[in-house]
Amino acid sequence: MADISSIAESVDSLQQHLEKHNYICSNQIATAVYLAFHLHKPILIEGPPGVGKTELAKTTSEMFELPLIRLQCYEGLDESKAIYEWKYGKQLLYTQVLKEALDEVLAGAKGFAQSVQRLHEFGDIFFSEEFLEPRPLLKALNEEQGCILLIDEIDKSDHEFESLLLEILSDYQVSIPEIGTVKAAQEPPMVFLTSNNTREISDALKRRCLHLYIPFPDVELERRIIHARVPEVPPELQRQLVSFIHELRDLDLKKVPAISETIDWARTLMLLHTETLEPQLVRDTLNVILKFQEDIENVDGEINALTAKIRKA
Amino acid sequence: MDRTLTNFIRALRTADVRISTAETLDAMNTVELVGYRDREFLKHSLSLVLPKTADEKETFDSCFDQFFRFEDVSSQQNPEHEGSDTGDDQAGGDSGEGGGSGDRQPGQPPTGTNSGKKKSKAKKPNNNLYEEEEEEDLGPGDMAEAASALGQLLMKNSMVDLSMEMAKAGEEVGVRDIQIFTQKGLYTRRIMDAMGLAELNGEIGQLRQHPQIPSRRLGQELKRRRDFLREQVRDYVERQFLLNADVSGKKLREELLRKVKLSNVEHRNFRLIQEIVYKMAKKLTTMHSRRKKVYKRGQLNVPRTLRHNMAFDGAIFDLHWKSVKIDRPKVFAICDVSGSVASYARFMLMFLYSLEEVMPKVRSFAFSSDLAEVTSLFQRDKIEDAIAKVLRDYSGGSTDYGQALLDFKNLCLDDVDNRTTIIILGDARNNYGDPHAEVLKEIYDRSKRVIWLNPEARLSWNTGDSEMRRYQAYSHQVDECNSLMHLERVVGNLLRQVT
Repeated sequence: MADISSIAESVDSLQQHLEKHNYICSNQIATAVYLAFHLHKPILIEGPPGVGKTELAKTTSEMFELPLIRLQCYEGLDESKAIYEWKYGKQLLYTQVLKEALDEVLAGAKGFAQSVQRLHEFGDIFFSEEFLEPRPLLKALNEEQGCILLIDEIDKSDHEFESLLLEILSDYQVSIPEIGTVKAAQEPPMVFLTSNNTREISDALKRRCLHLYIPFPDVELERRIIHARVPEVPPELQRQLVSFIHELRDLDLKKVPAISETIDWARTLMLLHTETLEPQLVRDTLNVILKFQEDIENVDGEINALTAKIRKA
Repeated sequence: MDRTLTNFIRALRTADVRISTAETLDAMNTVELVGYRDREFLKHSLSLVLPKTADEKETFDSCFDQFFRFEDVSSQQNPEHEGSDTGDDQAGGDSGEGGGSGDRQPGQPPTGTNSGKKKSKAKKPNNNLYEEEEEEDLGPGDMAEAASALGQLLMKNSMVDLSMEMAKAGEEVGVRDIQIFTQKGLYTRRIMDAMGLAELNGEIGQLRQHPQIPSRRLGQELKRRRDFLREQVRDYVERQFLLNADVSGKKLREELLRKVKLSNVEHRNFRLIQEIVYKMAKKLTTMHSRRKKVYKRGQLNVPRTLRHNMAFDGAIFDLHWKSVKIDRPKVFAICDVSGSVASYARFMLMFLYSLEEVMPKVRSFAFSSDLAEVTSLFQRDKIEDAIAKVLRDYSGGSTDYGQALLDFKNLCLDDVDNRTTIIILGDARNNYGDPHAEVLKEIYDRSKRVIWLNPEARLSWNTGDSEMRRYQAYSHQVDECNSLMHLERVVGNLLRQVT
């Protein structure tokens, strides 16, 4: 078991531990985790795709050695998928099976009122925890030792779903009409929400969260990330490929390459036993970093100039 | 209550960062955890708690730097403070403390600033400021006691007391009510007066004529410190202005722009108008997005199914599916883009397309003499570019409503059904041509609503070549629409009626 409180003692210690788990991050990101831990607040992470939003939650769960419970959001996600659902099949089956038993219970009851009276004595067995199917959010609350709850791509869900989250985010509890309020176990889950900003997240949700914006990293940080993720890249090539990516990000592209693409590219180049960036090689592997044909065509003409510039630097 | 923090939050709000009370409380908890020691750490932490969009973060950054530098500067502007005393290495910590022990914080006397001051006081004779004085050189030596209250305060050499006095005077003259930047001088003067400037001036005048050297020396010193105080007060007013007034100026402007006739909007205000349009659109979007439901494909609605089948002894054969009706308004906007109405068309289109989230099905048509559909322009380009193109390509020619209606009929009358709302924006001035009102009647019969928005004031309808009366008969609703407020009301109603 990891000693959570000693890891989260200071921002620096958090940063070091994250680094140990191959997540190289800026001071700002480590501060966010630090605050989230100490203030018990969820973090809403925004930023362009592929800068390591989801990865942060995963790494935090590794670092704290806590289970990661992930809820992937999509259009139409509702409470039966996210919080809980009754096991309707089981309920149906049991009513059928217990039909006989019901007869016995009701034997001798005079009139409708008395029968109902008797039934009441048995309580709401069919709406008890036995018949409750916990979904990610409820599961996260029930985790004794605490856990990391990752609500991924919240912007893909509907407005209504956001409102559904408010209770769990502010009070770490959910209300189930038939049972009552379920509160978090001793250690409330640490919640990460990620968003690609395809739509505005409502103010109510934002208000309850710390807001972390992860931008593209600067050259230095990205080199360290590459070093941690693909250690076999020689320093010179590492410098070249990171600068090349940074040049690309300055161009007007449909989708600029993110960190994940840089890492993929580094791996690709390693596979091809590359020593330095040659224009031809870049041209051949461009589809690893650029995901639109239009972008590839636009960049194609610039490759010679770009590689020359980078090798000179 | 942490005054520095609440002041900072006020400054942020002024800079248009929305911060709720809950977030203020969060910020306080954060500061409690983090403390003011480490400036960078504090900045990172607060930037997680307070600003909630990328834009706001940028504002926050500059605001933070500005705000906490202010405090820093004020502590460095002591008359006898030596620059070398606060090196670069100290700057971070210094400003952190500056925040904690800022000017308007009567409770805690600042330790750092005070000690720094005392140290530098000893070296006073070497001070540059002192040598630059063109006064007679009286040399170091004893000084007489100041008589006036303000003089004593100045000679006490305590920044904290001075700031407290300044803040008190500021409250007295109501510096928080400052509205526009031209009032800065006025408020500076008023605060100085409230602090007892007249008395001090009198005393300085007397002292400088005084035969005894210690008194003359005091006179010089007091004058120097009075000038310093004026600097301080000016700074203080400046800060109050930034904190309190900047936003009301902007708000005032926004408020005015909402009501002003759109054709009178000056070009330089277009950007602001755009912002307002987006804001209004966003408000409407949030108000109405709730109604837009997602259709849940093929999901069994179990509770409902069970309920409905109870009558059949629990045997399930009457299935119910989860499905939610989608009710998105279908809007056709027909805009007159000839010279007289073009500026209204611009904002109307901007408004309609800003509402994309709740009204995804806007089709737009532009005409002056001939009508053409311009929907595709809006799909391809950004709203502003598309509008500019529309105005460029279609605005020539003299207005012919009859022809435009005929064109519309040929083009897409078939697409008009009983869920379609048609908005026509135009002044109905047909240059005495055939109005073809019967075409409008046809559209009227087929559509759900025809809304005619006329940018002219109601009084001038039906005068001259205006055909408003004839068109009015075949519209469900006619409205005067020449300001953003009108526009908001019309579109708001439109969204409300779609249910």
